[in-house]
Amino acid sequence: MGTRAGGSSCPHVVALKESRGLDTFRIILSNFVYCRSPRARRLKAQSCICHDCGTTADRLHCCLDCVYFGCYGNQHIQEHAKSHRHHLALDLSYGVLLCGTCGDYVYDEDVNKVLHEEKYRATQGTHANGTVAWQPSSNELNLLQHNPKRRKITHNSTIGLRGLINLGNTCFMNCIVQALMHTPFLRDFFLSDKHECLMIQSQNHCLVCEMSRLFQEFYSGCRSPHVPFKLLHLVWTHARHLAGYEQQDAHEFFIAALDVLHRHCKGDTDHTNHHNPHHCNCIIDQVFTGGLQSDVTCQACLGVSTTVDPFWDISLDLGTHLVQADSQDILTAGFLTAGASAITNGISYTSTSLTDCLKRFTRPEHLGSSAKIKCSHCHSYQESTKQLTMKKLPVVACFHLKRFEHSTKFRRKISTFVSFPVELDLTPFMAHRRNGLDTFSISPGEMCPTPASNENRYSLFAVVNHRGSIDSGHYTCFIRQHRDQWFRCEDDIITKATVADVVNSEGYLLFYHKQLVEYE
Amino acid sequence: MADQERRIKDAQMRATINQKLVETGERERLKEVLRTKLIECGWRDQLKAHCKDVVKQKGLEHITVDELVAEITPKGRALVPDSVKKELLQRIRHFLAQQSNI
Repeated sequence: MGTRAGGSSCPHVVALKESRGLDTFRIILSNFVYCRSPRARRLKAQSCICHDCGTTADRLHCCLDCVYFGCYGNQHIQEHAKSHRHHLALDLSYGVLLCGTCGDYVYDEDVNKVLHEEKYRATQGTHANGTVAWQPSSNELNLLQHNPKRRKITHNSTIGLRGLINLGNTCFMNCIVQALMHTPFLRDFFLSDKHECLMIQSQNHCLVCEMSRLFQEFYSGCRSPHVPFKLLHLVWTHARHLAGYEQQDAHEFFIAALDVLHRHCKGDTDHTNHHNPHHCNCIIDQVFTGGLQSDVTCQACLGVSTTVDPFWDISLDLGTHLVQADSQDILTAGFLTAGASAITNGISYTSTSLTDCLKRFTRPEHLGSSAKIKCSHCHSYQESTKQLTMKKLPVVACFHLKRFEHSTKFRRKISTFVSFPVELDLTPFMAHRRNGLDTFSISPGEMCPTPASNENRYSLFAVVNHRGSIDSGHYTCFIRQHRDQWFRCEDDIITKATVADVVNSEGYLLFYHKQLVEYE
Repeated sequence: MADQERRIKDAQMRATINQKLVETGERERLKEVLRTKLIECGWRDQLKAHCKDVVKQKGLEHITVDELVAEITPKGRALVPDSVKKELLQRIRHFLAQQSNI
């Protein structure tokens, strides 16, 4: 804010502080600028008009010496200051002080302090309190002064990229760690030091603390590969089924890691709360948990029974036709029938898309006569259809493409190409009907959840790939840095990649993050 | 005559809407949304940098808030992304649609 007197306060403000203090200023603020009660708001709505011309716009100001409201646009507040020698007035939109005599707004530290206090008080308990600007405390100022080293992140800086040494078939772990390290919400959480360890007796065993250390390692700017032996040891102790030097499934590791992290966030291995993941507010649940709605419709009475279950990831079938024939079979079948159409048919089956998989996932499925369910409406055993939709979208959506098939007859890998977009809109897969009802039940006093067009849009930020067969192979991953730079991570080697490399790769796990995140 | 009547009616309507927005607290919420969006899209940083340039150029002693506002307003208006304007308009429409007694 510009000040005439080179940073120091104007003489009229100094005089005001000495004679009457800032109480009047505070009272006007809490009633007409940052209203604390509905009553104050009503009063504000009724009385905030220019006493001279009756306008409600044009930057209204309120005199600090008498009951007078005047607009700035038509010079009424300035004229009032001159004619009545009432120097100071308060801007009713922002709460700043105008000195009509000096002819400018005044910056004063004490005034500013009162302003911030009132603003903070008014926003407490509302949606807006997440946006109060950070003011460093004396302790933090001290820390900043004693640690003068700063790192500037530019669009081409490589901070955050770090290879991981393979400790013997641990690529399944390395690729998931890379994906987690580049999850924006986890990064912000851990780099702002938000984790408070609750595992008091066994802090050395806390996987969340280890994640915190890993983030420090990754974003330290160090370029040599990191050796994640401590992490591996923790994984072995907490998820025993993954222990040993054998090859493991990256998806299995991902789910196991989230599970352990989620448990350690709560600080114990006590399983009593564990059954209620709905009410958990740990960082893992805030970021990864979504709600899947299952509607079972009875075919006799058409009654619908709905349940919502939490999920961390969505496993997608690549399509049933692939189960019956692999590409070799399709080709021979084509020769036998000597029909070109069969070949083209077969080939068109061999590639699919994420959207197709999601459509298949959310379409109504008929539960056959062998799976009759007791209907809660007509109380009889009936055939029914079941449909899955997304009730609550997670902040980070992980899609698992079921490329590994284990059945009684065979085990194998499906290497079908599945196309996936860089930007994904999940609106078509939402539980619309229920959402519609919810919008209506919101009272007018609450924040209106206007459906912005990009509310359900996601961006791709990590892809885990597997090459090789079901028995042996290798995991690598692509991760996104900044807005649009891609890198390929293969254990300790990191190379630059293009978006085309990413979307043409054989994806196994796809990680998307929400583009717009609401403040809590 | 009809023209003038309409003008008076418009002004009355504007006053009523404004009163409703203030009374319900919606105006403050909209302001907060706008503030957040403008920070998110970098508008605030851009404008702040511009303000600094203007102040440096003219000298702190020789500029008032009014002059600074006049100087940066054209750029400030032009830099607001269309998506932000659209969303705010949508929110205002949504709010008005909920008010049955206007």
